[in-house]
Amino acid sequence: MKLLVNGTPREVDAGVSPTLLAALRDQLGLTGSKLGCDHGECGACTVRLDNRLVYACLTLTAACDGAQVQTVEGLAEGNTLHPLQQAFITHDAAQCGYCTPGQLLAAAALLEQSPHPTDDEIRTAMGGNLCRCGTYPKIVNAIRAVADAQGRAS
Amino acid sequence: MSGTGPHDRGRTGARFVQTIVEVEGRTETRVVEVPAFEPAPWTADTPLSIVGTSPPRVDAFEKVTGRARYTADTVRPGMLHAVIVRSPVAKGTLTAIDLDGARALPGVLGVMGPGDAPAATRLFRREVSYAGQPLAAACAESLQDAERAAVVIAASLVFDVAPHAVTVDEALAADAPRVRSAGNTTEPDVVQRGDVARGLADAEVTITREYRTQVALHSALEPHGAVCEWNDGHLTVWESTQGIFRVRSDVAKALELPHAKVRVLKDYMGGGFGAKNGAGAHTYTAALFARSLGAPVRCINDRRAEQTDSGNRPATVQKVTIGARRDGTLTALVLDAHIPLGISGWEGGPAQIFHEMYACPNVRTTETCVYINASGMQAFRGPGYVEGAFALEGAMNALARALQMDPVALRLKNLATRDERANREFSGNRLAECYAEGMQRFGWPSAISHPPSAISRVKRGRGVAAQTWPTGGGPPSYAHVRINSDGSVDVLAGTQDLGTGARTILAQIAAEALGARLDTVRAVIGDTERLPYTGNSWGSMTTPSVGPAVRMAAEEAKAHLLEAAAQMLDVRIEQLSTHDSQILQDGVTQLSFTDLCRKLGNVQILGRGSRGPNPDLAIVTVGAQFAEVEVDAETGVVRVLRIVAVHDAGRIINPALAESQLHGGIIQGIGYALFEERHIDRARGVTLNANLHDYKVPTMADVPAIDASFLPGADPAANHIGARGIAEPPIIPTAPAIAAAVADALGVELCALPLTPWRVLGAIAG
Repeated sequence: MKLLVNGTPREVDAGVSPTLLAALRDQLGLTGSKLGCDHGECGACTVRLDNRLVYACLTLTAACDGAQVQTVEGLAEGNTLHPLQQAFITHDAAQCGYCTPGQLLAAAALLEQSPHPTDDEIRTAMGGNLCRCGTYPKIVNAIRAVADAQGRAS
Repeated sequence: MSGTGPHDRGRTGARFVQTIVEVEGRTETRVVEVPAFEPAPWTADTPLSIVGTSPPRVDAFEKVTGRARYTADTVRPGMLHAVIVRSPVAKGTLTAIDLDGARALPGVLGVMGPGDAPAATRLFRREVSYAGQPLAAACAESLQDAERAAVVIAASLVFDVAPHAVTVDEALAADAPRVRSAGNTTEPDVVQRGDVARGLADAEVTITREYRTQVALHSALEPHGAVCEWNDGHLTVWESTQGIFRVRSDVAKALELPHAKVRVLKDYMGGGFGAKNGAGAHTYTAALFARSLGAPVRCINDRRAEQTDSGNRPATVQKVTIGARRDGTLTALVLDAHIPLGISGWEGGPAQIFHEMYACPNVRTTETCVYINASGMQAFRGPGYVEGAFALEGAMNALARALQMDPVALRLKNLATRDERANREFSGNRLAECYAEGMQRFGWPSAISHPPSAISRVKRGRGVAAQTWPTGGGPPSYAHVRINSDGSVDVLAGTQDLGTGARTILAQIAAEALGARLDTVRAVIGDTERLPYTGNSWGSMTTPSVGPAVRMAAEEAKAHLLEAAAQMLDVRIEQLSTHDSQILQDGVTQLSFTDLCRKLGNVQILGRGSRGPNPDLAIVTVGAQFAEVEVDAETGVVRVLRIVAVHDAGRIINPALAESQLHGGIIQGIGYALFEERHIDRARGVTLNANLHDYKVPTMADVPAIDASFLPGADPAANHIGARGIAEPPIIPTAPAIAAAVADALGVELCALPLTPWRVLGAIAG
């Protein structure tokens, strides 16, 4: 089984790791994506699969042959952080950090689809990613800051 | 105030004294070592350049890049996976279990059942007293193989089922089944001051209510888990925990090992909120399999286990009577509370806040803990005070309505000016200023910001509530500060960062005291073998406990550095100071830490610090919160529109991180107020919503506008960094403030949590 993970061709065994999350974590060592609930309820495992946002814990590895996968490890370009990663640092948008990789992937997908979301759109789009530490206001601030900066740049 | 410095470290031999430490609202007297010197306190006027600023978290880069390693990210060579089999029945005896079928499955390397674990682990007992109790475990090469084995074992279980009680009412019924052999209740714990009978006789207005609060689940996104590995009789435990030294002593005791043979490591953890204060079934299971199979073993709770058997905030039933004069002066406060702890637990009860929050001469509280056939409680952010505040503040708001008095005015009239419970002065308590600042920010008591039309089915209301919480911290806590030969600095303290920011604020404190640049300071935490002892990260204790130890260590390291510099520059030490990792002579930069340390070579510059005894003062963090809500009178849905929170915690080390703590507490408080509740099926005694879909924690879409802040200032009487704890206070007043706002909107009081649409409609219907 072949996957293009963060731009790099990788091979995984769907028999060993039935879920994409297990394949990423256990076979490829990409532990940034987290297991929180194993039932698609918390969003800690959120990754992008062929530009769709998916819960990796509910995604069958066998259904991903040839797919492109982006995880938190693939957000930065070389040593340059993704603007959202930088904004999460600046705005203190990660407390324990366990949900952060999923939050970042969801936020990145949102801003690609909707570069200038309203706060309500941000709240709705991010509603599938739980943060028990309650970092939500600062996650909104971080996303808004990136959207505003992109607006100024364009 | 003057202090002593490292140069005064002339005394030989340790001196020990008694001191009072409050942990999670419980008071303990401890014998503690007096530090060799005590730096002069940082007062509100001390010019500080790093403490009090908001640099980003020192570990933020690791968190946003996915490089932060949590317990489940730990991989050891040849690591195996263990899964625990849990009881599907709430009470009874396990009469049959088949382990052989599971043992024969492919990939399965070990199984354990009744009799296979040391008694001190309390694992795998045949007597079942709650659904979710560990009965057996399987260990295999892969997690899937272990899960398959667990299913096979679970299918073999046969029980002699006995009647159970899973609610407080069931456990207290005349014909209740025996939950514990010694009985279903503890002896009532009565604490009183004054004479409540006389206080009630003196009252011109009396309010009596019964409040009920629900069971809430911590629901940290990272479940409890451990990886255990043995090497030559030494056990290493990677654990997601709030207390590495507590895990060490738990494991050492259960497995009869000397502390020196147990090493506990914790790097990053995905939240704790009070549930991760020691070793658990997962720890012992991993350790036992790792020993018997001679390979590292990982055992992580799945979400169902996490929501079923990893702790909870217990429910309460609280009968409250308040007596007051017509001018609002309190004459009596009476609480009679029942707290169903689960099958075990300690009294983190609601009573304490009744003794501490208000100046009232006559207070009597009675707490009776009740055992039920459900998993035991664990401390949960502000244990007891959260539940107690819902009742106390609810009753105060009811009293304000009865007196037609502004609820803030009522509270200011009864403001505690000293700790009447323990007969002590406060180190600092600026609750009155919190009210004033909060009123201004909220616009209290003027009208609602956007009044709805009179005929709207959507009603708006406003409410207020306040909190107190003991946040003095205390000894023992030790820290080392080490200056490396390149001038960089290591802070060494065996503490934990739960996501609170401990790594960052300890680095800030060390950098401030040392005069070092923050980016040269690294906080090394989370290792029982290589780091000095600190206590659990609970009770909002880390900053006021470990912070002063770190400062003292940094002051001593600085003294050594300056001694060396004085020799090198041939000047008097009094002429020297430090700033920005530079050494200054009479205010003029001479050389950098790096230059000095390179010239010194491998001279070890090490400062040692410890946390001194507490002053004989009540050290509390206080605050007031104001809520505005919208209630749909047809659907019963409550929406929180905004929260204004103002708290006083002395000095704030990092305002941005402290604000995050306020947000977190308030948002958890919103969940507690509106949605969160564990549901147990009364017929079968099993948890019905042991997942994150049916157990509703707040999502981003539930979060209102939050304006949360701390008063500026410092509390130099509390400790020499002037800081008190901050993590637990903000959750305490949120639910009662929201409940007050709902009552204001509807004109009907709601005395039970959570404020679900069902409950709201019921209240409207009367």
